[in-house]
Amino acid sequence: MQKFLTPNIIVLDMDVSVTFTLNGKQVIVKAPAAKSLLRVLREDLGITSVKPGCEAGECGACTVLMDGEAVTSCLVMIVQAEGHQIVTAEGLVKDGKLDPLQEAFVEEGASQCGYCTPGFIISAKGLLLEKPNPSENEILEAIGGNICRCGAYPRIINAIKKVGGEQH
Amino acid sequence: MNYSQYVVHSPQNLNEALGILKEKASEIRLISGGTDVMVLIKDNIIKEKELLNLSFLNELRYIHEEGNTIKIGALITYKELEKSKVVNLNAPILVDASKTIGAAQIQNLGTLAGNLGNASPAGDSIPPLYVLNASVKLQSADSERVVPVSEFFLGPRKTKRAPNELITEIAIEKTKPGLYYFFKKLGLREANAISLVSVACIADLDQYKKVNSIKLALGAVAPTVMFAVKSEKLATDKQLDLNLVDEIARSVSEEISPITDIRGSAEYRRRAAYGLVYEGLYEVLMGTAKRVSGSFEGVY
Repeated sequence: MQKFLTPNIIVLDMDVSVTFTLNGKQVIVKAPAAKSLLRVLREDLGITSVKPGCEAGECGACTVLMDGEAVTSCLVMIVQAEGHQIVTAEGLVKDGKLDPLQEAFVEEGASQCGYCTPGFIISAKGLLLEKPNPSENEILEAIGGNICRCGAYPRIINAIKKVGGEQH
Repeated sequence: MNYSQYVVHSPQNLNEALGILKEKASEIRLISGGTDVMVLIKDNIIKEKELLNLSFLNELRYIHEEGNTIKIGALITYKELEKSKVVNLNAPILVDASKTIGAAQIQNLGTLAGNLGNASPAGDSIPPLYVLNASVKLQSADSERVVPVSEFFLGPRKTKRAPNELITEIAIEKTKPGLYYFFKKLGLREANAISLVSVACIADLDQYKKVNSIKLALGAVAPTVMFAVKSEKLATDKQLDLNLVDEIARSVSEEISPITDIRGSAEYRRRAAYGLVYEGLYEVLMGTAKRVSGSFEGVY
């Protein structure tokens, strides 16, 4: 651990100020422009439902809604969030009540270790916002970018069907 | 991960962007949807320390219909292609391919222009663009030119784009109503997998299944996406039957020049190419393949 800076190191402040809406509230955050939305949410804003997994867009654990569409927040530079609406699992809770989708995940026991759960819920939410009654195939496509290493897929799919599927 | 080492320029319009690009040229890295570049930043394997963030150039967010051509602005995402009525009706092969790229999260971020700029031989939107006779518009502060997509790529990660140029638009030809088409790919996972082989095909057959013309483009089997020219010639003016399906698929598997890499061997890729082409043409023969509906309503 470096305790002091040597005189020939120049520290440039290259942080930018970014304004966006997070779970319905406007936030202004100062961060390095190229920092990922994922890292800013976790490290600077304390939003810990958003999980770092692969940080390469392959696992879906960091999925958030950007203007109502599911995106992997590891692939969004914080400057690109300027002016956008970001929603995380925390934002689905209204007046202390869980979203029906979150309730369904609880009722179906759709998680084991739970690390992937917020990402799955947000992916499913993105789908239901676009198609309130998705087919099974549409559900599978919507969560295709999310990985659950415990293998809770059947329960996850059941939970999503419970809220939005054609067959209840 | 030292994010502070990067300076990000976020121009608000095209002129501003082209001005920055003129000044910085090869010292700056373009970033649009971020689905490729953010991974490089995370792995710290990007040599440029300045980034040109294109995401605010809203003037490049359009899909225009102009006669027999569809013009697609550089900021159009895969998801926007999937939702576009004019693309669905007149270039459905591009919709089918877009739906297979990455997963929903990637399709919401990634752009068609970004897939071209990234120039991976396995870019899944590229074979469809080949068979759609696409062209790429390159703009700089002082010039503008249009390059056919089949001439745009020079090799893996290499294109004809000069460092001071920006891909601003992709133009595709509408496919004639009634033509058969298919896009097929093989990856190691259904979502978020880089293709081992991908095939795009548009075929014009008469009512007795005689091949009037056919276009076959393949991805991930050569330094750039390629047309299977010999196989196209072999098929033209012939009656499509099971023998010809087998012959064309075999010809394609021999015409490609795949390499062995982390995802699969060259021999596996040849067999996979045979399989994908056979499957697609078999569906054309059996009449179960998709056909272009086509329409010129002008409503998106």
